[in-house]
Amino acid sequence: MIAGRGRQRIRPPRRGLHGDEIDFENTWSTIASAFREIHTKNASRLSYEELYRHAYKVVLKKKGEELYKRVCDFEHEWLSSEVRSAIQALFSPNLSAGTQSLGGTTANERRVAGEKFFKGLKQAWGDHQICMSMLADVLMYMDRVYCHDHRRPSIYTAAMVLFRDDILHAPTSDVDGKEVLRLLNHVILDQIQMERDGDVIDKHLIKSCVHMLDSLYQDEDEAEDQRLYNTSFEAAYLETSREFYRQEADFLLRDSDAGAYCRHTRRRLYEEEERCRSTLLDVTQPKIQQVVEDELIKNRIHELVEMESGVRFMIDNDRLDELNLIYDLNSRVDDKKAELMRAIQKRIVELGTDINNAAIAASQAPVSAPMPLEAGDKVKAQMPEKSLNQQTVAAIRWVEDVLQLKDKFDKIWEVSFQQDQPLQTALTRSFADFINSPAFPRSSEYISLFIDENMKKGIKGKTEMEVDAVLEKAIILLRYVQDKDLFERYYKKHLCRRLLMNKSISNDVEKAMISKMKIELGNNFTLKLESMFKDMTISEELTSGFKKHVEGLGDKDPKRIELAINVLTSMTWPLETMGSGDDAEGSRPRCIYPTAIERIKRGFEKYYNEKHSGRQLTWLGNMGSADIKAVFPKVPQKDGSFKERRHDLNVSTYGMVILLLFNDLPADQHLTFEEIQAQTNIPKTDLIRNLQSLAVAPKTRILIKDPMSKDVKSTDRFFFNEGFIGRFVKIKVGVVSSGNKVESDRERRETEKKNDDSRGFCIEAAVVRIMKQRKELSHQALIIETLNQLVGQFKPEVNMIKKKIESLIEREYLERVEGVKIDSYRYLA
Amino acid sequence: MVLNKHQIEAALVTEAQAISSGKLKEDNPLDLSDNFRVFCEACRRGDLKVCQELISAGVNINARDKFDYTPLILASLCGHYEVIRLLLEHGALCERDTFQGERCLYNALNDRIRNLLLSYDYAKSTNPLQPLAAHLTSLLSRPSPKTSDITLVTYDQSFHLHKFVLAARSPYFAKKLAAAPDTTSWKLSQLVPAESLGVALQYLYLSEVSLRSATFGLSDEDERIVLEGLDKISRQLEIERLFESVMEVSDRRMLRQRRAEELDRGRNQLEAWFKGNIVKNRIVVDTDKVGNVQWDRENSIFADILLRADEDDPYEPFSADVSPGPSESSTPPQTHIRNALGPLNGIPVGPIKSRSPSRRRRSRKSILYPAHRAMLLRSEYFLAMFSSSFREAQETQTLQIVKLDCSPAVLETVLTFLYTERADFGLDIAIDVLFTADQLFIEKLKHRAAIIISALGNGSTSTVESDNPRGETDAEEAVDIYEVIRAGWDTRVQRLEEFGARYIAYRLENYIDEPEFAGLVQESAKRVKGRQETDTVELVDDIRYYLSERFRLRFEDSGLDEMMDEATQGTGGVVVSPMEELEIRDKGPEKQKDGFAFDIETQLAAGAIRTLNGEIAGDEFMQDAINYQTLLGKIDHLLETLSLDA
Repeated sequence: MIAGRGRQRIRPPRRGLHGDEIDFENTWSTIASAFREIHTKNASRLSYEELYRHAYKVVLKKKGEELYKRVCDFEHEWLSSEVRSAIQALFSPNLSAGTQSLGGTTANERRVAGEKFFKGLKQAWGDHQICMSMLADVLMYMDRVYCHDHRRPSIYTAAMVLFRDDILHAPTSDVDGKEVLRLLNHVILDQIQMERDGDVIDKHLIKSCVHMLDSLYQDEDEAEDQRLYNTSFEAAYLETSREFYRQEADFLLRDSDAGAYCRHTRRRLYEEEERCRSTLLDVTQPKIQQVVEDELIKNRIHELVEMESGVRFMIDNDRLDELNLIYDLNSRVDDKKAELMRAIQKRIVELGTDINNAAIAASQAPVSAPMPLEAGDKVKAQMPEKSLNQQTVAAIRWVEDVLQLKDKFDKIWEVSFQQDQPLQTALTRSFADFINSPAFPRSSEYISLFIDENMKKGIKGKTEMEVDAVLEKAIILLRYVQDKDLFERYYKKHLCRRLLMNKSISNDVEKAMISKMKIELGNNFTLKLESMFKDMTISEELTSGFKKHVEGLGDKDPKRIELAINVLTSMTWPLETMGSGDDAEGSRPRCIYPTAIERIKRGFEKYYNEKHSGRQLTWLGNMGSADIKAVFPKVPQKDGSFKERRHDLNVSTYGMVILLLFNDLPADQHLTFEEIQAQTNIPKTDLIRNLQSLAVAPKTRILIKDPMSKDVKSTDRFFFNEGFIGRFVKIKVGVVSSGNKVESDRERRETEKKNDDSRGFCIEAAVVRIMKQRKELSHQALIIETLNQLVGQFKPEVNMIKKKIESLIEREYLERVEGVKIDSYRYLA
Repeated sequence: MVLNKHQIEAALVTEAQAISSGKLKEDNPLDLSDNFRVFCEACRRGDLKVCQELISAGVNINARDKFDYTPLILASLCGHYEVIRLLLEHGALCERDTFQGERCLYNALNDRIRNLLLSYDYAKSTNPLQPLAAHLTSLLSRPSPKTSDITLVTYDQSFHLHKFVLAARSPYFAKKLAAAPDTTSWKLSQLVPAESLGVALQYLYLSEVSLRSATFGLSDEDERIVLEGLDKISRQLEIERLFESVMEVSDRRMLRQRRAEELDRGRNQLEAWFKGNIVKNRIVVDTDKVGNVQWDRENSIFADILLRADEDDPYEPFSADVSPGPSESSTPPQTHIRNALGPLNGIPVGPIKSRSPSRRRRSRKSILYPAHRAMLLRSEYFLAMFSSSFREAQETQTLQIVKLDCSPAVLETVLTFLYTERADFGLDIAIDVLFTADQLFIEKLKHRAAIIISALGNGSTSTVESDNPRGETDAEEAVDIYEVIRAGWDTRVQRLEEFGARYIAYRLENYIDEPEFAGLVQESAKRVKGRQETDTVELVDDIRYYLSERFRLRFEDSGLDEMMDEATQGTGGVVVSPMEELEIRDKGPEKQKDGFAFDIETQLAAGAIRTLNGEIAGDEFMQDAINYQTLLGKIDHLLETLSLDA
């Protein structure tokens, strides 16, 4: 429209813009006086338009450089004359007085002086900022055009630099030539120190000064890490803090206990964090935290843990809170919490070793030694065979103690250690350490005994839940045990006794235990145990089947003897442990049974062979028991009563055989030990034991021994005790020492030897399995693989593995590979 | 993404259907008007000036002629880089994956043009009105400086708004506020939920509204309420198109078109309001009495600031003024009427009741424009001014008067741009606008001024002069090229420097010997040295470049086109004369500075021309070659005398 109208000429620019020179000095004086007005806070009357126009024209006339310089000079002048003197007026001797030099200035005086100083500085800084932003507004054209083209910092930035140089870097009035900046740092640090000592300071004021430092830079580049705050203040702050906390740590370690130390440290950490928020800048927070952690925790944690009132004290006195504190502190500086872990582990092993030693001591204590305090019912149960079962008691006590210890540390772990995973592993490792410690080789046996005890007596009258808890405890301990195979051996032995002698209270509980072990240790482990149970069931069927068979044979025989039988698979049952194993004599002596018995025995053998051909039955007389109806004749009693008495006697099979000998004997006749042995062919040890229980035990003295003594000698004579009085109709004649008990040392060695043998087989099997798969393997790798394979069962010694490898080579399962650097083996098919 | 042929065809068919059913507007409608024909012709020839004039006259830049050519295709086919840039800057579309767009790219004469077209791909560019819209939208949430003068209250929210926007955009508000201009708060019916009002306000403030974002996360029930509220409010505020704008449209092009229409309408509303209120209410007073003008803060056009511009020269006769702009020419009578109507409009005018003393005494006049800070904030200058704590930012009973250092015509141009994004002005004030825009940091306006100068500045001779080697254009020269170059330097507009260099290069023989030119070269050299130590003189380099372009173009063209040949031959006679002039002028320095080897060369060259002239009359190409050499030699000489290395 406009453009469309005819010919147009471009008009020369308006006057004042071009051609004629402007009067720079005049313009500048206008601008300068306006700036002065701005500085004296009279800006509201100034016209932005006018000032801008002046500045604009100057720049347009290529006088930008001159203007820039003048503005800087003006600011420099202003700052060094007006502002600096105002700041200097704030200096007072109280300010620079250090904390150490107690030249009569109290903290309060220093604080007041400091706050005045802060206020002045804050005021100056605030004014400067406001004025400079106004100046920058006015000089916007210069900033955009001149500064941009000539790569000069904007006028605002330049003015900030001037403030730094003219105010902060100005020397204080003192002769020592300290800079204001250093004084400022000093005063801030001083105030922070006051706050640490418990004074109240004006945080807000300090914060504004800190903000000033934060918005100024060390040099012209304005790099992010070159802020004055970082370069000048922060470093000093960290340094003084480090020194302060180092001293404080010294002091605290000397004068207070560990718990107090932890609480104090925690409070300091919180304080520093709070200080960064309220007084300083958040960027310092991680750094100062680092300092506090270094000085109060990292460098001191060892001392702290080892203090008299340290971790050990806390554990012993159940100071869960303090343990939690320590845990918290330690985890701040160390992800692994090594110190704490070390202390805890040490304490567990100590306590565990104590328990071990107590158990050993208890088991070796002389009979007369007073029994230590024990849980009630178990003591009563053990009363009759006190001396014999001392070991057992010790075992059960050991288990209880270990469980208690475990409970304690579990609680600590849960409450104080925030269920920290690595710590749990450490705990487990420590428990495993002392349970498996070579100084205490009986843990497997003790655990098995503990289960045995509970199966037989302990769980009587308990609810399912409680029973379950007991089983669970046993399993927990079992977890720690390394030599699982040893445990299996013991457990089998104890289980065998329980099954054959019907001592187990509940079959269900037994099975529950087995299934728990199955979960924990795997199928292999419980295979044999389960087959024991299976044998028991099959035997029951056999017995009833035989009974029917006999009934079907013909007339009822009132005198017929009823036979209950257990057929045991010889491989699964630990028969040798029952005293009937291969004795020194070699082949098992055959017991001579009375004819009636012999007949029924044959009958059963026939019956069994019909069912399962090709199986050989071996009779274990020492394992059985018999119920006998016995009639005692009318003989005068000590108490004068005179009548015939009938008793149902429950005796061992051997006992029955012995008693039946006396059936055929006239009343006043006797049998000597040798005669009995000859007629029955019962192994000597078993015979002695049975005779002891029949003739020595006061309540079951069915035979009379002559001479009367405890020991049974081969020359002793035995009579039928016609005057036997029993209070009950049914009398159980226990065989001496048939109860469970800890093995004697001889037995132990035997057990271990057997164990080692079976381990040898396991190792060989494992080696062969591995080699069959790999064909060729280096020695080291083979050892490692073998260890891995067997870890679920036991921890074999490397020496043993080597031996087994040797023996395998001898038997040409393996051969050494020739001409290889690393020792290697090859599998020979 | 490249489409297959069948895909493009399918797209074309659906597009044609959409257009015939009226859903879609054609991107390139057929235009058979005379204006458009001339426009296309100018694009063919590369006549920048005509193009600029016709664009300013409002020709549809995206239309097509009867051969299905759009101006952009024509220009890119004929290889007129400057014209293409001009077209693209004024919103000519060249979008990949459209028929016309691909055609345009395919036809581009060379890679330079092709790259230029690609850089303006519509997918990347935005609507030219978007800055205006964005500014308006930002007013809704801008906390400082405070510009709002009315508060809209709903039961749980309040909106700080601007009366002039409401009045411009909504007829309802226009009526209400005209009846009671001093309202400062306004309560909305409780029935309209705040969300609906929010959407309506966004719409009024030219924000892109969509239903999905407005009802995001609301339950169906709430959404229904919001929709009903929208319906109600759009009827109440008489903004019927609101509902349409809110609806979802999946098609990108439809969406864009709708948005463009909406922005256009919004701009037109603002423009109408600007013309009907601000321009109409400007006051002309004597400069020395301007301080007496007092406007109450409560006024019918809701202005909160007065901008003052002084007229140039009090002694210049009004009527003789070349072009103070159409509005200005009709000012004097209107002023009186308005002064008289002052109280009626609710605009209390200060104590100047004198009936235009200007007529008699021709005293210097000032013009005051009422304005709104909210819009002025688009300039960073005003933003700084109103955010600061200087006098201008303070709230006073009567409106502050802020003087701007420019003529009233320029001020009006600036205001027009700020309010409406329109920047069409004549060459006469272009340089002033350039400076003012630079001063006020209005980059876009500055850019526009530069475009106008470089497009129109060539005068009648225009850029097509390549086939028109200079006659005596001096007399009609439209610009003082020295001023233009200096202005380009001062305001850091590269485009003007280039334009200046080209302008001079194409008529170098007129300038090479002027002392003022030498001064300019020296200035340029200083500029460069001021920045860093290099040996080139930017201006001279540019001139050399365009000089080579000028002559090479002619050499190349010669063989190609018979038409061109004819043209050159037709003007052949003219070519000679400047050369002769050159010779004559050459003798001047020759005499003065005899010792220079250069002068001998010139002599030789001059002699050669003369002999050539005699022997092969009509072979202008040879002449051109010699001319070229001569001019280059003269530049060297000039630099030598200025003792500048180049």
